[in-house]
Amino acid sequence: MSNALSNRPTGQIPAILGSLVIGIIVLGPVLWAFATSFKTEVEAVAVPPTILPSSATLENYIKVFQDAAFLTDLWNSVAYSVGAVVIALIVGIPAGYAAARFSFKGKRTLMLVVLATSMVPGVALLVPTYYLLESVGLLNSGIVVTIILSARIIPQTVWFIANFVEAVPVEIEDSAMIDGASRFQIIWSLILPLIRPGIAAVATIGIVTTWNDYITVAVFAPEVAKRTLQVALVNQVFDAIGISWSYMMAFVMIASMPVILMFGFVQKWFISGLTAGAVKG
Amino acid sequence: MDATDNANRFSWAPFLWFTPAILILFLVTLYPTIFVIWLSFQKTKYYELVGFAGLANYVEVLSSSEFWDTTVISLTYVGGSLVGAITLGMASALVLNRAGVTGSALRVFILFPWTLSMSVVGSIWLWLLNPSFGPIPYVIQKLGIDPGLMLGDPGMALPLIIIVTAWWSFPYVMVMATAAMQSIPKELYEAVEIDGGGAFVKFRYVTLTEILPTLGSTALTLSIMYLTLMTLIIVMTGGGPLGSTTTLSFEAFRGTVQAVNIGPTAVVSIVVLLINVALGALYSRLTGRVTG
Repeated sequence: MSNALSNRPTGQIPAILGSLVIGIIVLGPVLWAFATSFKTEVEAVAVPPTILPSSATLENYIKVFQDAAFLTDLWNSVAYSVGAVVIALIVGIPAGYAAARFSFKGKRTLMLVVLATSMVPGVALLVPTYYLLESVGLLNSGIVVTIILSARIIPQTVWFIANFVEAVPVEIEDSAMIDGASRFQIIWSLILPLIRPGIAAVATIGIVTTWNDYITVAVFAPEVAKRTLQVALVNQVFDAIGISWSYMMAFVMIASMPVILMFGFVQKWFISGLTAGAVKG
Repeated sequence: MDATDNANRFSWAPFLWFTPAILILFLVTLYPTIFVIWLSFQKTKYYELVGFAGLANYVEVLSSSEFWDTTVISLTYVGGSLVGAITLGMASALVLNRAGVTGSALRVFILFPWTLSMSVVGSIWLWLLNPSFGPIPYVIQKLGIDPGLMLGDPGMALPLIIIVTAWWSFPYVMVMATAAMQSIPKELYEAVEIDGGGAFVKFRYVTLTEILPTLGSTALTLSIMYLTLMTLIIVMTGGGPLGSTTTLSFEAFRGTVQAVNIGPTAVVSIVVLLINVALGALYSRLTGRVTG
């Protein structure tokens, strides 16, 4: 019965080959798009297709940045997603803290209401929200879009922060309180630094979620001055006459760069945020 | 709020900590939810309400064959994507687990598609599948098969969108499965070895049994996501060709922007909402998060 011993050396070569196949499946399409973004318009549609650009050009990227609306789109993307995450943290930290530290009547109900709102899909709210916004003249409002996006990430923010705070021993707070620290001081200078990795995880997931949103902005703020990179990208797809694939792939790369970079930096936190709660013993 | 606060005495103070969060959730989520129910009982013309409709909108939607076609397409889409993502995700978790350093190095990159937006994923695949210049139809053609119109073919559009959805989401399954596998006690495998069990027994009776709860909750999370996913469909097919990729969520989106008659759209929205809430309730039950 030397199964485990004999399996190892022979089993690893196919596993490594299998891993490479998986790697190609996962990254191949993205790398192809990346390669296309450096091709000239002529080369992008050449038959047979070339894998690597024969002479890499930055012309597509330059064209994207020269587009009149691009900087506005980029700014809107940044403003909406950062704004939404900041709002979610500002309202989520007190609620999560209270859920972890105070016991009071109705707390369970409150937390259930918060959780229940995360079960209402955004798509089911398109018609009523559009109607309500139109009737009060708030379509194409950047602030309204930011608040709507924040509501999408508030439930998870509250629940995660409650979990993080619970993991901090309450004795630390007790001794600070004896020293005369106020509740605000305790949260600001004691709790927040301790749960920083957790906050980084929810913030990252929040930024990725809101940055990648298309529907909310496309339906509630479709105006060119208010749209995001995602909306601009889809509009180009619709505008399929004379589409330049190499230009579009450059746009795709630029629109994805911030989340790719963030993901690279906080990959561990991102994954721990994803798996938290779902995997338990 | 001070330290002498008695926890058992009813007090309004703790609620203040929740007020800002609840206020936003009420305005953005709860109120529109109530409003869409009310809307579904109204006679509408474009975005104008022209009176009480009773159950007319429900009758109109539920008795139309389009609605049931759309429901079947939704279920096919959710089910197909789920099968693809779970199979690929499990397989890659097992393979990468055995591939030593290569496996752990690759794991760093593998969640990457998950971070891309649906508009980006859709655009990339639109390019790859483009029948005139796309590399995938080119390769298929070189293999001696006629690739046809790809996304323009009513019989192929939905399967292709399912493949893209599975491609985008299987890394998530892989991450979840890997995390669950790593929490399985080594002793269980040793026990199987002592009893003379091979690789299959180990997989079937230890790995699969131990990760099944995680796999279940992951499947539910994905179902909820797939059910409400429409950006990919908007970008890749726009619900066509011939309505072959029109899901319930896409229909709710189209109803909102085309706005011919929003009463029936409200009914479709409520159907999506109900399925979603049912799946969500099942999820909370499975993971026990509510009782935490």
